Amino acid sequence: MDSVLHRSTRASVGRAGILNRLLTVMVGFGLAAALVAPAAAEAPRRPNIVIILGDDLGFADMGSFGGEIRTPNLDGLAKDGVRFTNFYTHASCSPTRSMLLSGVDTHLNGLGNMDEWTAPNQRGVPGYEGYLNDRVVTLPQLLKDAGYHTYMVGKWHLGKAPGQIPAARGFERDFSMLDGAGSYWDMTNFTAASPLTVFTEDGRYLTRLPDDYYATKTYTDKLISFIDAHRGDGKPFFAYVAHQAPHDPYHLPKDWRSRHVGEYDQGWDAVRQARLKRQVELGIMPEGTQLAERMWFLPDPVLLAPAPRAVLGKKMELYAGMVENLDFHVGRLIDHLKEIGEYENTIFIVFGDNGAEGNDLFKMIAGAPGTRDFLFAASKWSNTHPNAWGDPGSYVAYGPMWAQVSMTPFSQYKGWLAEGGIRNALVVSGPAVKRPKGSINGGLMHVADIMPTLLEIAGASYPKTVQGRELPALSGKSWGPVLAGAAESPRTAEDVLAWELFGNRAVRRGDWKLRWEYRSFGKGSWELFNVVADPAERRDLAAEHPEKLAEMIALWDDYVRTNHVVLPSRSPFETMEDQLPPRVPDDPGYPPLNQKKQFVPPQEMLAAPKK
Amino acid sequence: MRNEGWFRDWIGRNGVALATLVALGVLCAPHASAQMPARFYWKTLSGANAVPLIVNSMSGDTNPFDPALTVTPGANFEATLAMAGYARTFTLFDRSAMAAIILPMGRISGEASVASQTFSQPANGFGDLTFELDINVLGPPAQKNLVDALRYEPGFSLDVLVDLVVPVGEYDASQPLNLGQNRWYGRIGAPIVWQLGPWVQGRRTTLEFLPAVWLFGDNDDYVGQTLETDPMYQIDAHLTRDFTERLWGSLDGVWYTGGRASVDGVEGEKLDNLAFGLTLGYQIDDNLGLTVGYKSTVGDSAPDDLRMDGFMVSLVSGWHPLIEGAKRLKSAE
Repeated sequence: MDSVLHRSTRASVGRAGILNRLLTVMVGFGLAAALVAPAAAEAPRRPNIVIILGDDLGFADMGSFGGEIRTPNLDGLAKDGVRFTNFYTHASCSPTRSMLLSGVDTHLNGLGNMDEWTAPNQRGVPGYEGYLNDRVVTLPQLLKDAGYHTYMVGKWHLGKAPGQIPAARGFERDFSMLDGAGSYWDMTNFTAASPLTVFTEDGRYLTRLPDDYYATKTYTDKLISFIDAHRGDGKPFFAYVAHQAPHDPYHLPKDWRSRHVGEYDQGWDAVRQARLKRQVELGIMPEGTQLAERMWFLPDPVLLAPAPRAVLGKKMELYAGMVENLDFHVGRLIDHLKEIGEYENTIFIVFGDNGAEGNDLFKMIAGAPGTRDFLFAASKWSNTHPNAWGDPGSYVAYGPMWAQVSMTPFSQYKGWLAEGGIRNALVVSGPAVKRPKGSINGGLMHVADIMPTLLEIAGASYPKTVQGRELPALSGKSWGPVLAGAAESPRTAEDVLAWELFGNRAVRRGDWKLRWEYRSFGKGSWELFNVVADPAERRDLAAEHPEKLAEMIALWDDYVRTNHVVLPSRSPFETMEDQLPPRVPDDPGYPPLNQKKQFVPPQEMLAAPKK
Repeated sequence: MRNEGWFRDWIGRNGVALATLVALGVLCAPHASAQMPARFYWKTLSGANAVPLIVNSMSGDTNPFDPALTVTPGANFEATLAMAGYARTFTLFDRSAMAAIILPMGRISGEASVASQTFSQPANGFGDLTFELDINVLGPPAQKNLVDALRYEPGFSLDVLVDLVVPVGEYDASQPLNLGQNRWYGRIGAPIVWQLGPWVQGRRTTLEFLPAVWLFGDNDDYVGQTLETDPMYQIDAHLTRDFTERLWGSLDGVWYTGGRASVDGVEGEKLDNLAFGLTLGYQIDDNLGLTVGYKSTVGDSAPDDLRMDGFMVSLVSGWHPLIEGAKRLKSAE
């Protein structure tokens, strides 16, 4: 398979070789020089930067990535910019966010594990603080130092103590939800031990939320007010728009809930197939791409009765509404920037923070009957009637079947290190992008690249030390040459990406990916995939390529040493194998028992019984 | 197979118990031919069945078995009225429809004066047989399957209602107090259900109206005389509200006008009366609903005024073959 990535890596390290690299460096410097020139009258203004993060937004959800969900505003950015199909995040929220804002590997920046899941053997270990530690410097801090206004709205999830909140980490203005999730309507959170979501505004902890609060709307309103309050002073701004949407629970204004009634009753397989078809037509995925197997514990939707299909479909209807509502508010921001004449000078970076959510978060947090968390859920989260879905007190998440749809064509979802957990859609638009508008690129990108890219664009540099402390090296690579059209990928075929979260592990180099996951999602041993030829990770090649396996394991070992990885002694997935049915292959049509249609004999052979 | 079991559990946790969506207890049945209870015209799954048992204890100056509510000035009747019946929902031209048959029975006692004669003989036995047909004409389409039921919200629903009462009840022409009315009569109405706020069990609020006109044939043998009754107009109104998923209440009002009765050409007064009441409903389980209510006329001090009050208890058993089948399978696991 001659994939886009394959072409891109050939372009950067193949025939053109050194010359191409030189060109890349020169273009990169040129881009930076053009953008960071002193603010002389004739010098171009430095661009504004807007990062739009969709929480749990899937690879295939936006229309421009094959989704049937209507996202005209996000698609408009894609049309004005470039879509990247080989972009990696981490497998869950806070680790991705930590790398976005620090440019440093999670095991060094404090999010070696999520705060909620720090294992006993990780407690007190540097790199596992559960918040963005002070051994790293943040992107907003450096941009602020470089003369940018720095704004944040939305979900932070990188620490709640006064020294850890957005205002302490470089944001000049903020309206932030410090928790990882919660109600979209109020301050209700999930557990009896932590019943209230914590918010800050401009560095102060809020005692209540504004009137008429709805997360996606309020975040957008606040950001627009920040922009307006400071525009006119000539300084560009950096806005981190970390939307809570479309993370569960799917809380949604009523008029957004019923825009897809019945559309998903067809079931997840049909929607996945339709998305893949569109992805191939759009050029997002190459011809011949296979869908990942339907997770073995999910039924063929064709075998389900209409009512369960409708109930489960309604969950996807709500999710689609969440994404469309998110798109609507992104559109409000875009319109505002156009109105004030800033749109053309604004770089947009849009992506989802990890794979779509297929885990049952509510089950994890609501506890079992008889527990205090169950009592809390009964009191605060028991608005279970489908007609109440979207209201305060309702908790709807769409489950693994629709998460697989959101991650079409990949395997698995959030929390796991298959492509469905870590590969996401990326859109970049704005003045830094010199590639053809609406084009698609398959370069190997990573969320940690954003920090060096934006520092370069802003004319800032990454310091070696901060307050006498030596900073860890940035783990990402600037996209400058790629955005400028001078390179197809920021990485060569030798560059390595690696992940570890909850004990799951992965390494990617070139076309190859090494993966270790808890059973039954994984095998509890190393698996090897060619993710260019097999992006759905259907064929484990470990046995066929023992040399490659060994080579990749060596890379993993190096990653562990370099980043002080401490594999967790406990994991949210440690008992997964016991909870799920035994893994069986996904063979369409099996068993024929309940799929064979009624036999209809030839008409001419029909007869009534003889007397 | 184990996979299927896991998924079934998963649906149980993450989906909904579909049976609760189509709880059939809302399918009440007529209980007093003069006024239907609140929530009577709510819609449910097509093909559902209900058997109501309704008991009224009433008193006043009119015969509660007589929907014309003919006032007998100065009379004081006591009645115990029970009704049993059967109702079934179905789809007609893609609209919700319901057909019901109701048979009243009971006893009544009291004194009445007709044509200067005083009668005090009690009556008992069976009343007239009522057939009712109700078809929705405005509002959501029929709930033909569970998916429709899942997505159903009444919004603003308007029905057309036709009642026909067949004079088969026990009738003694020698006295004015009877369970049967010895004449054909019926009603044409337009039940309205107006959803206020969310359609979520435990939070439902409705405003309901039933404007109707009753049309009466003549009773040619009313203590040897002829009883004629003008058309009677009636508006029922209910403000209903869920208190919990199972408990609800209603403020009830009814206005009667018209219905002037004449006996051998001697006209009585036409009705112009109000009555108010309260109803509490409780859904005992998916199949059984209980309501308890009280209603009384107001401004009824004049001898010719309609004076009536009564307690009502209803127990309605509802079922749908599909739901019952699913329950059997589940209980067999």
